[in-house]
Amino acid sequence: MRTLRLGALLAAAALTATACGGGDPGGDGPVTLRFSWWGSDARHTMTQQLIEAFHAEHPDIRVEGEFTGWADYWDKLATSTAGGNAPDVMQQESRYVREYADRNALLDLGKYDVDVSKLDPAVAGTGKVGDATYAIPTGVNAYTVVVDTALYEQAGVPIPDDETWSWDDFVDTTAAITANTGGKVHGVQNIGFNEAGLEIFARQRGESIFTADGAIGLSDQTLSDWFALILRLRDRRSEPEPSVTIETQAGGIDQSLMATNRGATGVWWTNELATLTKASGHELALLRFPGESQGRPGMYFKPAMFFAASARTEHPEAAATFIDWLVNSPKAAEIQLSDRGLPANTEVREQVFGKLKAADQQSGEFLREIGPTLAPPPVLPPPGAGEVQGVLQQLNEQLLFDRISVPEAVSQFRQQAEAALK
Amino acid sequence: MRQGTAAYLFLLPWFLGLVLITIGPIAASAYLSFTDYSLIGAPEWIGLDNYARMLEDPRFFTSLGVTFTYVLVSVPLQLAFALALALVLDRGVRGLAVYRSAYYLPSLLGGSVAVAILWRQVFGTDGLLNGLLGALGLTGMPGWVSTPDFALGTLIVLNVWTFGAPMVIFLAGLRQIPRMYYEAAAVDGAGPTRRFFHITLPLLSPIIFFNLVLQIIGAFQSFTQSFIVSAGTGGPADSTLFYTLYLYQRGFGNFDMGYASALAWVLLLIVGGLTAVNFLAAKRWVFYGDG
Repeated sequence: MRTLRLGALLAAAALTATACGGGDPGGDGPVTLRFSWWGSDARHTMTQQLIEAFHAEHPDIRVEGEFTGWADYWDKLATSTAGGNAPDVMQQESRYVREYADRNALLDLGKYDVDVSKLDPAVAGTGKVGDATYAIPTGVNAYTVVVDTALYEQAGVPIPDDETWSWDDFVDTTAAITANTGGKVHGVQNIGFNEAGLEIFARQRGESIFTADGAIGLSDQTLSDWFALILRLRDRRSEPEPSVTIETQAGGIDQSLMATNRGATGVWWTNELATLTKASGHELALLRFPGESQGRPGMYFKPAMFFAASARTEHPEAAATFIDWLVNSPKAAEIQLSDRGLPANTEVREQVFGKLKAADQQSGEFLREIGPTLAPPPVLPPPGAGEVQGVLQQLNEQLLFDRISVPEAVSQFRQQAEAALK
Repeated sequence: MRQGTAAYLFLLPWFLGLVLITIGPIAASAYLSFTDYSLIGAPEWIGLDNYARMLEDPRFFTSLGVTFTYVLVSVPLQLAFALALALVLDRGVRGLAVYRSAYYLPSLLGGSVAVAILWRQVFGTDGLLNGLLGALGLTGMPGWVSTPDFALGTLIVLNVWTFGAPMVIFLAGLRQIPRMYYEAAAVDGAGPTRRFFHITLPLLSPIIFFNLVLQIIGAFQSFTQSFIVSAGTGGPADSTLFYTLYLYQRGFGNFDMGYASALAWVLLLIVGGLTAVNFLAAKRWVFYGDG
């Protein structure tokens, strides 16, 4: 009797073990790829359509989608990569490409069949590290100044001439909005949380946040002028009081001052214009950054995001086929439109341009207009770039609440940013 | 002997769980704390460097300061609240079960994401609290969770509000105290205050001690509140940078898992040390009636 019971136990244990060990596909069935991305609900629905359209054209490749919001995405990607089960194909972002590529986690797509010949030359090479192509840009973006024409009119402030305006004009204009509306509408939302603004500010002076060899490329003078600018915007009441700024910042684009008609100016990526236009219900205009005509041009085209493949994928050819289709297929572009930036492939961009939303066409026209005056995009930031952004945001908060002075902010940035890049 | 084998087989699932899910990761984290480990690449042995780095890391000290403030203020306040309410309920309120459940509810909800989000709304610039204060004529109040001077305070209030769990334990402890002590003391002319300090407190001291140890350990590990209220930043201006939040930022946000593991071990040492001190001190004030 006892033996019988023992036998049953062993059998149960054996069954469990086999159940856990299962999963060997065996045979030459269709290849399955895992594809992960971050984004909004709209992007999730759209990407599922993309996957179905791809499968219709490539019945031998099946794609399984995995998606999350922005912040969770990087935690999940890091842990799954550490566990050796990174997704075969992933959406990437310039701050993180080298974080993964430098640690041999990304596939060199240059060795596989991904056509990059039709990509916009402004961003075509932005996914390269040395000779290897680790990431393919999905689309083109630029960081710009967005103004709400209705609120400017209401405040009786003329829309500035973006071919000539300086940073002083930026402060005066935004301060005038707040003053003229009695604080009902603020001139601008704090510009210190996204390092792209500082990048443009620095490039106008011939500097950049990161040098080509991955060190900090900002002088103390530039840092100190930037932090002083942040404080001037606060003190001139161009922006709301710091605690409101903190809350607004946490609310993302939907709760931003411009989306809720509480602010007349903002700094945004061009692919965010459609969301802002819809939320605000006003007509918005895109302007060049201030200071572009005083020094060198600082604005640049940025690859909106990238597609990359895991170095550990068992199906590198299939992954390359999928990425190639995502970037180059007119069918994919028709589904994707400008959700991942204005399509990087210039041919399909022209084909779908008429189908884009009015706001996206507006962004497209703007990009076309400013294109000739722009400097080449910055190099891929070094590993640690994500942390440097965190340092800037943290110092921005400390400054806003007068917890530190401008010189302290400069020295703390040096110390913490350099430790992050070690 | 064969009976022994069957017993071990039945123990096996639990034992495997202990080794794989608890002891294994603890050992791995101890090893990783001596390495430079980016999560993506292979860990690289660097000896005590991670521990040495903490001494020069200003945010490590900031997070320690925030966490100690939080523990030292919120735990005593929370226990005092819990005890006070337990005393009131112990006097024989009608519908005790209803009250007990009602006051216990925040304990179930307090650590949740939903309540943290609610907290952010209530204590915001245009939140419920400022709306109420405005109705009383107090306008121009700050956003409590978005001003560095008040943000940690609102998280402390949130923690104090979850006094239900210790309260229920206090209530059970109060029920254990024999009524005859109170009767005898009353006959001898002791007033309510003396009865509280000379009967209730000493006889309740093992329960107080139990709650104290548990709440201190729990408070050191607080994470969700700050993570949600500050949107993961520990802001404004690092004023709510809990130790565990900083650890999380380093490990998962900054590809610095070796350093994060070292931080985790330092936290373990701090909490272990404090608990040991607690137990030593307990000999002086905790009274075990049966001993």
